[in-house]
Amino acid sequence: MTAAIAFRPVFSPPMASDTAKGTSEREYVIAAQKGSDAAFAELVRLHQRRAYSVARAIVLSHEDAEDAVQDGFLHAYRALDRFRSDQPFGAWLNRIVANAALDLVRRRKVRDADELPETVALPFRDPGESDELRRRLAEALTRLTDRQRAVIVLHDVEGYTHGEIGSMLGIPEGTARSDLHHARAALRRLLNDVRSDR
Amino acid sequence: MTDHLKLHDYREDDDTTRALRKVYAAPEGETYWRTLEARILSGLALGASVRLRWWDELDRWMRPALVAAAVVLLAAGVAMFRAHQVEQEVAYEAMLTPAPSALPVETAVRPVLQEQRETTFRYLMTP
Repeated sequence: MTAAIAFRPVFSPPMASDTAKGTSEREYVIAAQKGSDAAFAELVRLHQRRAYSVARAIVLSHEDAEDAVQDGFLHAYRALDRFRSDQPFGAWLNRIVANAALDLVRRRKVRDADELPETVALPFRDPGESDELRRRLAEALTRLTDRQRAVIVLHDVEGYTHGEIGSMLGIPEGTARSDLHHARAALRRLLNDVRSDR
Repeated sequence: MTDHLKLHDYREDDDTTRALRKVYAAPEGETYWRTLEARILSGLALGASVRLRWWDELDRWMRPALVAAAVVLLAAGVAMFRAHQVEQEVAYEAMLTPAPSALPVETAVRPVLQEQRETTFRYLMTP
């Protein structure tokens, strides 16, 4: 048994029996803190979709969201011994992923300063589905500030509360609320002519 | 002004939200998520193997170093305060204690000299 574990490659996907036993997230966290890479891999599996959504709300493209998720999980893995297992792992991870995404946006801004204006990438998988409203929406989203865009997506698309968004982005709840209000007003104004054409 | 007072049509926001959800929809399909999971895990394996780079090591020592620096600063502050206090006490006491030069000088006339003076005086007074 010990030999079998020793020969398992680092970060191999968890065995099916792990999930069959109904191991809770907290147990995975504790096991991962004790050095179990398989337990951390299970946490990746459990949280990667939410982590992707958080990152995607902040960055401008699908590819950047993937990079931010990867960075976020790496930071979380390194900081795992500082995580208190009595708090929700998802919220902690989302904060780390959000920070990784914000960091990526800052780095991209510095790099792309002299390049073409930024655009919000539409989903890579269904180009045929795009219509005028979506095209204009993607365009209008670039007119919002990074924070306004993140707040409106995290709230209206992902369903996070103002408090959760504030905690993720490191801003007060009231600021998240006001950013949402301004982002909605700006989008309404920018999209108004698209609607009036219909 | 009237625009602000006009009741907002929330169906417009619903349209925007629906469009937003399409723009930001997460990829579907288990294959995609398995691929992303594998990518994250390989990144972790790579990150774990190179995690003890000098800046990570530096990062690890950052907190103890900051605490040590704070303790040293505090100790230096206390020492400086104490030194200043002692200096002040010395200055205060020096003010209250008169300097040796200010002490009254007790003069004494040498008996030999006094005798000579009296002899001279008697000589002069004697008719």
